[in-house]
Amino acid sequence: MAAYFGNAAEDLVPDGLAGFARAHASLLTHDTEHGYLLARDTAPGRRVGLLSGGGSGHEPLHAGFVGRGMLDAAVPGRIFASPHNRSLYEASVAAAREDGVLHIVKNYTGDRINFGIAAERLAHRGIPCARVLVDDDLASDSEDIRAGRRGTGGTVLVEKILGAAADSGLGLDELARLGHDLVARCRTLAVASRAHTAPGTDRPAFELDPGQLEFGVGIHGERADRARVHGPSRELVAEMTGALLEALAPAPGDPVIALVNGLGSVTPLELYGVFGELGRQLDDRGTVLSRSLVGDYVTALDMRGFSITLMVADPLVLERYDAPVRTAALNW
Amino acid sequence: MTTHTVPFDGAFTDAWMRRFARSAQAAEPELTALDQQTGDGDFGANLTAGTRAVLLRLDALDTGAAGLPAAAPLDAAATAFLDEVGGTSGPLFGLLLQALARAAAAEAPLLTTPALAEGIAEGLAAIRRVGEAEPGDKTLVDALHPAAGALAAADDATPPDAALRHAAEAAWQGVRDTAGLRARLGRAAYLRERATDVPDPGAVGVALFLTSAGGTVTALTPYLSPAVS
Repeated sequence: MAAYFGNAAEDLVPDGLAGFARAHASLLTHDTEHGYLLARDTAPGRRVGLLSGGGSGHEPLHAGFVGRGMLDAAVPGRIFASPHNRSLYEASVAAAREDGVLHIVKNYTGDRINFGIAAERLAHRGIPCARVLVDDDLASDSEDIRAGRRGTGGTVLVEKILGAAADSGLGLDELARLGHDLVARCRTLAVASRAHTAPGTDRPAFELDPGQLEFGVGIHGERADRARVHGPSRELVAEMTGALLEALAPAPGDPVIALVNGLGSVTPLELYGVFGELGRQLDDRGTVLSRSLVGDYVTALDMRGFSITLMVADPLVLERYDAPVRTAALNW
Repeated sequence: MTTHTVPFDGAFTDAWMRRFARSAQAAEPELTALDQQTGDGDFGANLTAGTRAVLLRLDALDTGAAGLPAAAPLDAAATAFLDEVGGTSGPLFGLLLQALARAAAAEAPLLTTPALAEGIAEGLAAIRRVGEAEPGDKTLVDALHPAAGALAAADDATPPDAALRHAAEAAWQGVRDTAGLRARLGRAAYLRERATDVPDPGAVGVALFLTSAGGTVTALTPYLSPAVS
């Protein structure tokens, strides 16, 4: 445990969850038997429960987004491992409302299968359930990858905006369609100059040559298809911004929401520096930067890296983004 | 017209599930060896753990009670596999059992051949939805798909035990055919050609399950390499 502060590698998740639940006891409850977190206070007009989950090690995702205006429930698995279908099923039953439950699932094979089994069980019990699959990672956008693009930083924006839409009383099918639309509007790119430390081994999950960075890294340390010289942020952010805008192709005047997200070990000072570069890049290209979020939201343990997510918005998306939220990690 | 001395009630499905547990335990070393060649080697242990959990739940049911519906032991087995087995293959078995239990409950209290056909077809559909597997992907679908076909083709008057025997034969043929397939899903997909001559362990599990309706399997070899007659 030399690299991480904790009692033992296998205690990182249970100890962290117990502490999180106690620290935010006014927002949520922790069902320790089935391993999920449930919001105490959600909007009375909400007809559909919103649930997300996935492997741990990405905190504050997803537990940090449980509360008023966002998720009804979050189900953490072990580090980088999908939660068991039973936890997802029990949490869904607890979170479901009159029009059922919406699963927000990052696109990884294990999550797809376990959420899928839970959905079959919910159908068996007569609880309506739909899925929004988040696959925003531009680096895994390749015809050679049958599993498709991974789900990463865009998940935060999707969960926030869906939360506001659910509070306005939208039904299950409307929310699922909105979710697909939101995912289509956002793309993310991540870079890292150092891999995360694998708990229990105290070794980096992969090695990089000095002066290199991984361009297009995944949030579990999946290697990118290329390394790149770790040069000035000006050039790095320009390359990332160019790739994201090329993929998204916003129309002139479209408002854009930007998320600069730390992957675990990048300082706020650096992240704001990256955001400043991003803002200049967008200005230079005539893209309208309308909202911004800077900080650690979807991490990869202690990876030294960051991601940029851009979402092409419209007035309704912005209104929903601006709607009040009260969770451990987002609060306005 | 023949008459049947076996009533296809809860005692029949209870005995089926208990034989499945014995078959899985007997086959565990062979299943593990197969899975070590194609996957991560845990399928035999997961299946055995699942059937042990099934036995505990069956013991908690009053399976000796007269008039126990056929669906009850199937439902208990479904919950055990869904709730208490890790990995993905175990819970996928749970979906199959859940669909069988639902179909059996719809025609309560006795198990019928049409209920079996519907349950297996629904279970196959659920597993395909969740696992996103097609026939030919070298998964348990390759045993379940021909078994569902055999049950769908069975005459409604075919007694359930005979229908299950035909389904099991079709499943074993499917298992043997997976030995010629290249995996496209799951961990076996990463092995490419290396694992092509080995049958899929999940498919073997399905065939074991169906065969156990009529008897306990003590060794896989007679099924994997039947003597040429």
